[in-house]
Amino acid sequence: MPSGLTPFRWPATWKGSSALEALDGTPFDCLVCEKGAAPGGVQGLMIADPAAPPDGVSITEGVWPGVQMARGQAAASSGPTGNPWVDSNGWKIRLEGALHPGARVWVDAKPTAGALAASFPRAIADCAAYGGRWIVTLDEGLAGGIAQGNADAVAAWKRIAGAARFFKDHDAWSGYAPVAALGIVSDFSGDNEFMGQELLNLAARTNQQAGVILKDKASAASFAGLRAAIYADAKPPEPGLRSLIMTFVQSGGTLITGPNWGPAPGTPSSGTELPGYAWRAAGKGRVALAREEFSDPYTLANEAVLVVSHRYDSVRFWNAGSAGFSFTASPAGKRAVVQMLFYTDRGVASVSVRVAGKYRTGKLWTLDGADARPLEMDLQKDAVELHLPTVSQYAAAELEA
Amino acid sequence: MHGNTTRRDLLRAASLGALLGGLRWGRAAAAPAGTVAVGRCKTYDPAELMPAMARMFDQIGGLGRIVKGKTVAVKINLTGAYTYRLGYAPLGDSHYTHPAAIAAAVSLMGKAGARRIRILESPWATTDPLTEYLLLAGMEPREIERAAPNVEFENTNYLGKAKKYSRLMVPTGGYIYPGFDLNHSYEDCDVFVSLSKMKEHATAGFTGTLKNCFGIAPVTIYGGNAGVDEPALQPTTGRDTFHSGSRQPSKSAPQERDFMGPKQDGYRVPRIVTDLASARPIHLAINDGIRTMTGGEGPWIREADKVVNPGLIVAGANPVNTDAVSMAAMGFDPMADRGTPPFESCDSTLRLAEEVGIGTRDLKRIEVVGWKSGDVTVDFAELRRERRGRGQAGRRG
Repeated sequence: MPSGLTPFRWPATWKGSSALEALDGTPFDCLVCEKGAAPGGVQGLMIADPAAPPDGVSITEGVWPGVQMARGQAAASSGPTGNPWVDSNGWKIRLEGALHPGARVWVDAKPTAGALAASFPRAIADCAAYGGRWIVTLDEGLAGGIAQGNADAVAAWKRIAGAARFFKDHDAWSGYAPVAALGIVSDFSGDNEFMGQELLNLAARTNQQAGVILKDKASAASFAGLRAAIYADAKPPEPGLRSLIMTFVQSGGTLITGPNWGPAPGTPSSGTELPGYAWRAAGKGRVALAREEFSDPYTLANEAVLVVSHRYDSVRFWNAGSAGFSFTASPAGKRAVVQMLFYTDRGVASVSVRVAGKYRTGKLWTLDGADARPLEMDLQKDAVELHLPTVSQYAAAELEA
Repeated sequence: MHGNTTRRDLLRAASLGALLGGLRWGRAAAAPAGTVAVGRCKTYDPAELMPAMARMFDQIGGLGRIVKGKTVAVKINLTGAYTYRLGYAPLGDSHYTHPAAIAAAVSLMGKAGARRIRILESPWATTDPLTEYLLLAGMEPREIERAAPNVEFENTNYLGKAKKYSRLMVPTGGYIYPGFDLNHSYEDCDVFVSLSKMKEHATAGFTGTLKNCFGIAPVTIYGGNAGVDEPALQPTTGRDTFHSGSRQPSKSAPQERDFMGPKQDGYRVPRIVTDLASARPIHLAINDGIRTMTGGEGPWIREADKVVNPGLIVAGANPVNTDAVSMAAMGFDPMADRGTPPFESCDSTLRLAEEVGIGTRDLKRIEVVGWKSGDVTVDFAELRRERRGRGQAGRRG
């Protein structure tokens, strides 16, 4: 199946069929190269043109994941709270996946200048954790080093191939569904592209996993398990969508919306003090109605977290530095996996992770070992707390209820 | 010596210094001395904690006489960002006031007739509700909220729910600041309680109920990113200005008395803490020393070492008395001053507070119940010597 492919961009500097030997023993089974740039003598590998992706693949442009560094690399660039700003492809993979159901999302992102060879496995993990695949793209220096047999470069290449192998071996995790408390309803395009897409991006930065609900594909199932949904599009929802969302509210959900919703739903009510919002009640649920139109997705993402409440955080970290996560569960909910991404370049020690849910057993996977390790777990009332050994870049906790 | 300084100026300064010294000695000698209770409690299990705390409050004269019919403000101790843990330890076991200790105190205040109880703290760089911050820290605010009727929470690191800041002046004029602009909650209360974690402090030597008051100052006015003329709208940093004296607070607030004064944090922080505790007097002081950490006030401190279990709670109506007994129970000499542990590189907040008449630190004048001199369950002083002997000394990390 094409979507099970592990893509690798053929370096322009790798010439001749002998260069293909570098791929021996690696999981890369699809060479991505512009038309006419494929090496000769290729056997057993698919050749894919990024302009015409294989069936079952959707290619999207992404970013080099990591802590965004300020000019000169002396300091991390900051987000609005002063916290280091993290670039990740997770939200985009989830959006592309919703837009192209059944397709495997490949992310096309070149390494930034000066990217450490050690950070390439994280680029693989940053996409794979969300069900996508990074088109593994070496920079010129690393590609050259591998071709020349430079020991450091070859070692880095083995780690890159190892990371890609890991995710190929755990492809079943891609069939798990995201566990989210918050959903964002939008078409994520046209007038709504900036607000919708930035909301997805910034919700992740506030440590929330937001579900993607496409306006034209929404159904009652889209709201299952959610505690709140945001409708921040520029125009009021169509009657069908409005009805769907209000059914969600009537049954106990919370809608966060603004004047663009149209006539205020429900009746005046009270709720957590949140400047700029009026609370309204509707059935068993409530509506947080912004008094002014939304203009800043960062503010809205942070307000949404408070509307939902951190009580319902699905994953929370301590001592993790700049981290991200993908929390997905099997259809029956008995098994779950928390894939954790650590964006600081050095390893992180004594990381605690609180995962919502009643999980009893678990094991820990990292990219540097073939076998899972036992996971130290502290079982709590409605959650489990995981105590990780020193980890770097990526770790996955596979949990069982 | 400045060329313009005359012999007469020096004599005048010396006389003034002697006069002030005499005044301070006089105030210290007359500083209030009350009863301090030390409770033994190995765990935060309410079945053990509640009776221990109730007994202590009885021993210091009863909680009812302090809180009955009153609006009680309780400043808890949630220093630093919630994302830091000492190893895997929950924050309440190392450097935050434990939620069970807060809930127990709130419950007993409710039973003693408190009309309203407001839990206050200025959490790190956020305007989020305090309840949300507690959740992030892994604490359940509902357990505190349900411990008594009319329990409220307020984040005091910015303007909060009021329309303007409250100005509280230092009655003695202040060491560094003549007064402070604070969140309204510190004025809109009849009783002020400091419920702190008992621990060391990298800059001030010791953290107790006095040092806990450092966090009542909003960083919108006293932080590095405070507004120049008016307070900033949101807190985004720590109180680095208090440490370094690199700038004045927002001009709307009382300014430092002598902006050219010493800039060393070991000089400034103890004095500012004393000024804050003078401007906002403490009526009930409680130190949570059931489980705590050694080596500093939080995991980010280079010398931060380990979680320990002294199994102690210390309470009194006077914060200096209470902190003095707490220090002694940790193995430190509360009469110590600069150059002596834990004040190797700072002045003693207790001495400064004593000199402005807040309370005595002299154990001979304090009636201590439930503890006798030398009874040290975890010897912080000895651990400090060992740690520093290994070369693990350090200031703020």
